[in-house]
Amino acid sequence: MSATATASSETRGRLTTDAKLRIAIGVLTVIGIGIGTYLTYTHYAKLNVLCLSSGGCETVQHSSYSKLAGIPVATLGLAGYIGIFISLWIRGELGRMIGFGLALIGFLFSMYLTYREAFTIHAYCQWCLGSATIMTLLAILTAIRFLRVEPAGPAGPAKKSVDRAERRRQMAGRR
Amino acid sequence: MASRTKQKEEARARRLEEERQRSLKARRDRRIRSTLGIVLVAVVLVAVAIVVSSGGAKKSGLQKGDQKNATVTAVNNLLAGIPQSGNRLGNPNAPVTMTYFGDYECPVCQAFTLEGGFPQLVQNDVRQGKVKVVYKSFCTATCNGPGQSVFNTQQVAGLAAGEQSKFWQYTELFYHEQGQEDTGYVNEAYLTGLADQVTGLNIAKWQSDRNNPNLAAQVASDTTSAQSFNVQGTPTLIFKGPKGQAAPSASVPTYAQLESTIKQVS
Repeated sequence: MSATATASSETRGRLTTDAKLRIAIGVLTVIGIGIGTYLTYTHYAKLNVLCLSSGGCETVQHSSYSKLAGIPVATLGLAGYIGIFISLWIRGELGRMIGFGLALIGFLFSMYLTYREAFTIHAYCQWCLGSATIMTLLAILTAIRFLRVEPAGPAGPAKKSVDRAERRRQMAGRR
Repeated sequence: MASRTKQKEEARARRLEEERQRSLKARRDRRIRSTLGIVLVAVVLVAVAIVVSSGGAKKSGLQKGDQKNATVTAVNNLLAGIPQSGNRLGNPNAPVTMTYFGDYECPVCQAFTLEGGFPQLVQNDVRQGKVKVVYKSFCTATCNGPGQSVFNTQQVAGLAAGEQSKFWQYTELFYHEQGQEDTGYVNEAYLTGLADQVTGLNIAKWQSDRNNPNLAAQVASDTTSAQSFNVQGTPTLIFKGPKGQAAPSASVPTYAQLESTIKQVS
């Protein structure tokens, strides 16, 4: 009985933690989608970005590093956030793997862009730094989610066998 | 009997436990492989993106062939028939003066000059003699990268073209063919290459004028002027007219924003 109870509470614990992680990832991606949408809109509408520091955002926005193969990096970031968000609705290991992969790519590229801001462009954009922070948090959370939850596969049958044996033992005890 | 059953169950439990341990180890190994695979793919993709971002972009700046011809034609068409002298563009008696503090290597200045309200301002207000534009040098992007010495050299190159009333052709061409920040693209080949593209420029005279100490002094005096206006970045635009002085709030103002500022001072 105790083994079953422990296994079941562990499963419940895992699900709860996974649900919490999904919520945190979901909230962060929604914020990221907001930032990405705003920066993409201002880019194509040729508007000035609301900025706290004098001219920092414009300098970064008009820098040659603001585009990758002609596509604004803000748009690529937006696509990444949407991808991570969608991955939350893909069941099983595949969804967690996609989410972790996208967040890791986003994190690494954000680090590169932040390096360019600091050492090449010599200007900072709060929106970009905000996005980089969110990507860093997403990389950590998606990594925890990917590494923590037991993937499906051999785990299923093995666990079922243990449960079946335990049930048989309990039945014998009752008799 | 009971003890035999118990022994059997214990053996089965041991076997199941071993099976569970093997299964767990297999899963752990599989997850480590998956993680390494994801990290590897991510690193490769980002490395490719970095190569594209830093290598595939405009590094040298200078255009060639049809692209260069199209740029030269566009610049000549924009400025054709508009009087200019030194760093001034437009009728000297225009009631409104727009002082443009800029840096040739500044990408925001490029955005304003090529995509912001500037082309329309030149086509309409400057051409009609309502506004004149005076360009002043203020080191921002260049000083964050190659430094003050390169800044002085490049800005003087523009002013030397101004000695032949071609300052604005040189300036426009610089912004059209601006290279990637902090890549050291501004060198003698680049500056002379731009001069070669300025239609009708006497290159020998231009080279000689680049050594004119008055032009270097003008760059220094522009910096002093910028400090007196408390200029923090480029482009900074200051409009002066009969009703006083005003500046658009946006860093890359649209034509409508420029027009609104012109109205305030005229």
